[in-house]
Amino acid sequence: MKLYELQGVTREFKGRKVLDLPHLAIESGKIYSLIGPNGAGKTRLLNILAFLDRPTSGEIDFCGEQVTYCKQGLLALRRRVVLVDQYPILFTGPVWKNVEFGLKVRGVARQARTDRVHEVLSLVGMEDFFKAEAEKLSGGETKRVALAMALAVRPEVLLCDEPCANVDEENQKIIIQILDRINREQSTSIVFSTHYLAQGRSLAHGELHLEHGRLCVKSEQSQSLVLPVNLNHGQLH
Amino acid sequence: MDLLVDSIRSAFLLFLACDPELLDIVLVSLKTSGMSTLIAALFGVPAGFFIAHSNFFGKRLLLTILNTLLALPTVVIGLLVYAFISRRGMFGSLDLLYTQTAMIIGQVILVTPLVTSLVLAAISRIDARYRKTAMTLGANDTQVALVILREARFGICAAIIAAFGRVIAEIGISMMLGGNAKGFTRTMTTAMALEYDKGEFVLAVALGLTLMTIAFALNMLFHFFQGRIESEVV
Ligand SMILES: Nc1ncnc2c1ncn2[C@@H]1O[C@H](COP(=O)(O)OP(=O)(O)OP(=O)(O)O)[C@@H](O)[C@H]1O
Ligand SMILES: [Mg+2]
Repeated sequence: MKLYELQGVTREFKGRKVLDLPHLAIESGKIYSLIGPNGAGKTRLLNILAFLDRPTSGEIDFCGEQVTYCKQGLLALRRRVVLVDQYPILFTGPVWKNVEFGLKVRGVARQARTDRVHEVLSLVGMEDFFKAEAEKLSGGETKRVALAMALAVRPEVLLCDEPCANVDEENQKIIIQILDRINREQSTSIVFSTHYLAQGRSLAHGELHLEHGRLCVKSEQSQSLVLPVNLNHGQLH
Repeated sequence: MDLLVDSIRSAFLLFLACDPELLDIVLVSLKTSGMSTLIAALFGVPAGFFIAHSNFFGKRLLLTILNTLLALPTVVIGLLVYAFISRRGMFGSLDLLYTQTAMIIGQVILVTPLVTSLVLAAISRIDARYRKTAMTLGANDTQVALVILREARFGICAAIIAAFGRVIAEIGISMMLGGNAKGFTRTMTTAMALEYDKGEFVLAVALGLTLMTIAFALNMLFHFFQGRIESEVV
């Protein structure tokens, strides 16, 4: 099934087109890597996919329905899609409060929230930081807590902006394993951006190459390379 | 010099004796200033929040007007409110002139722009990612607003303290609209002016010291709540 379908989507800043996507389709239940150099428009595109930003022109269908950008509609959509920022920021206060935020705004009961917080914090290997002050975490720790905040709400779609940048090698592996696991176990659709070619390959079912705001079909993006290295990811489209 | 030392010594004696007149004046001051600060905050905080987070036609003009209002002299506000509430004014029948209510009205007009612009600055200064993060995690408008207000809380507190400091030290409005009636609308500043006129420095100095002490205590309290102040870099 098609998760996103973008038609003629552009994003301009003061007349400068930073995104120009005549057509882009993203299948649900898959992992996509969004690859491109600095300034290619990866963050802009993810913001649009997260319904945090509105394209200057063009149409977006999400799960077969056109996105209208009315207030109530946007809130409903945002409750299904979560974006983990490239440089995440945590709210002032303890780590656990940060992680339960998405559950609290959804009105989840306290006990269920606490259980879930423990669960996701141990998933990202940050359970020792349950009570730690969020502001004082290191860059990589912040990143992992931000991922836990997103995972806590079990989104249908998880968008990760450079999930592995700033994270040490061991934790990069852990993050990649987590993305892989929630994709398999909860069939969460995932789009993550990266500027390393290698990082995407092992994990993703599909690759989106961005350059100067445009999708480019690279010659190397031939069938064999789009195929997942890890074949137990399930059916291909 | 002797005058000052003597006055300070006598002032302390007044404090120790819990002089009823002094106490009365301080209470009236605290009550009116507290009330006007509270009302100004109820208007100013939401207004600052709204202006910070919306783009509308004439926003720049509004900001300019707001900044101009910061320079509004108290006597101008006194005159303006007087024109409305004096016997022949539009609200003359309400009999508000020379009451605490009149002082509060004037003071609210004085500091609402101050609260608004300081809150606006405090909210604009906090990182835009707080809002974005709250939104992507599914917060509705109210929940997003609460996150932002929470992250900007020190700036908002500072705005409110600044407003309180402004009204408690203000004299023009209290004098013109309150009338300096003993035990009723006599505040620390109007009493000080009166005592000065009479050449009586003791009470004036005692009141001056009280005023400074209150300001100091308030700021201490604020810093206490703000927590650690040591810097991360040397
Ligand atoms: N708010 C903005 N106003 C003006 N230009 C912007 C804005 N945000 C992004 N841009 C421009 O859009 C282009 C794409 O930016 P984007 O942040 O999406 O890049 P990116 O692919 O995420 O890069 P990186 O790998 O460095 O994170 C850049 O040239 C940037 O300067
Ligand atoms: Mg980016």
